[in-house]
Amino acid sequence: MLAYSEVEKVEGDVGDFRVTVRKKARYVDEGKCTGCGACAEKCPTVVSDAYNMGFANAKAIYRYFAQGIPSTYTIDAKACRQLGQGKKCGVCARICQAGAIDHKQEDQILEMSVGAVILATGYELFDARRIPEYGYGRIPNVVTALEFERFLSASGPTDGHVYRPSDLKARNALPEMEKAVQKAARDLEKYEQRFSRTSDDFMAQFERESLEGDDYVKWAAQVKEHRSLAAGLAKAKEVVEKMHGAHRIAFIQCVGSRDIRFNRHCSVFCCMHAIKEAMIAREHDKEAEVYILGMDIRAVGKGSEEYRVRGAKEVGLRYIRTRVAEVTEEADRTPVIWYEDTKERIVKKIPLDLVVLSTGCEPSPATKPLAGLFGLEVNDFGFFKTKASSPVDTTRPGVFVCGCAQAPMDIPESVAQASSAAARAAQVLSGSEPMRLASCKEIG
Amino acid sequence: MNREVLVIGGGIAGIQASLDLAEMGFKVNLVEKLPSIGGKMSQLDKTFPTNDCAL
Repeated sequence: MLAYSEVEKVEGDVGDFRVTVRKKARYVDEGKCTGCGACAEKCPTVVSDAYNMGFANAKAIYRYFAQGIPSTYTIDAKACRQLGQGKKCGVCARICQAGAIDHKQEDQILEMSVGAVILATGYELFDARRIPEYGYGRIPNVVTALEFERFLSASGPTDGHVYRPSDLKARNALPEMEKAVQKAARDLEKYEQRFSRTSDDFMAQFERESLEGDDYVKWAAQVKEHRSLAAGLAKAKEVVEKMHGAHRIAFIQCVGSRDIRFNRHCSVFCCMHAIKEAMIAREHDKEAEVYILGMDIRAVGKGSEEYRVRGAKEVGLRYIRTRVAEVTEEADRTPVIWYEDTKERIVKKIPLDLVVLSTGCEPSPATKPLAGLFGLEVNDFGFFKTKASSPVDTTRPGVFVCGCAQAPMDIPESVAQASSAAARAAQVLSGSEPMRLASCKEIG
Repeated sequence: MNREVLVIGGGIAGIQASLDLAEMGFKVNLVEKLPSIGGKMSQLDKTFPTNDCAL
């Protein structure tokens, strides 16, 4: 297993591919690192946690997620004070008892020869910023389905509690704001001691008589800054005091899929994913109002239709047939969904605590470069091209594809297709020569 | 005939394909670009239609 590695070059043909892989430097020795985490605890550089979709913080030396395999830590070279910014640091190297930190580690180039290749490069989620009317990135209480997944997770950034992101942000900002107010107050104290009078008293006189002199002007500026910081803090505290779980949640379906502006294809898994998240949101909070707004619910696959019905009948989800027009925001950060009720033919709105966008499945950014490396064709939607009669065979013999690299699909289908691709690779590698040629000819 | 396989991508599909081939006795090289395997599925809390834990 080569984690943190990428394929760089491919030569040869079926039965004898020669592949060059770049194993990127982790700056941590995989053989020595025990995964204890002491380094990350002491690392002074805080970065945004990609695994938790930026809703939690990580350190510049990190493990992608707690149960990740391999459990070796990795230094984010760009963020690291020593590697990225050229400063003196080395805290991790001093704290590591195993002596695993190696700031001088370099990328390794590995050559391997293989008989067959399976592409399982997955997908990328649609960037919801491309639909500005839904407000993602601008309205804090609009999140994507994968971000919401992290909120629901007991190991996620909110320990499984669903709050409005705007409230969380306000709560997380409080300590910094308090520090700033205290610092401003200390600055004022210096003036107060020097001139033996209170700041309020001075300010009243300053505004009345416009006192002259640099010190007075500076002092007045300090007073104003302290007052504005304190007012900001009081307001933020008020918001945090009123903070409550997100009770009103709505899912918008087909964000970036089944939309001629972006992707014509259906992303397959989002309907069921939304129903699942909606059910779990109701499990967490029995009083929650949960809506799913979409053109229809595409419950494809085993057990899916029953799941959809269970969502409505037993869990109390509300499905609304529509195509959401816009999400707006009120002054108290409440997002409002505007849509046309296609049954009553009138425009309606729902005020909410949280809007979840079911973002579509797009080809992975790795698809195009890999198609170039291997000389493969992609289909009209940008996924690796296959035939309906041989869904895991790419346009090149000996190279197979499975999962969302081939088309959007759910987990059971990915697993089934992965086994199918494995079987095809095994056929090619172990078949007698004529059989192998026959199996390759089919797709030729 | 070379009996090694290269699997590119360590998500649920890549892991499943690798395990199948390994069980069949082939040597598998699994290449993943991120520091840990698991892919998108590792970010999921629970999965439909059974609401079982994903990890």
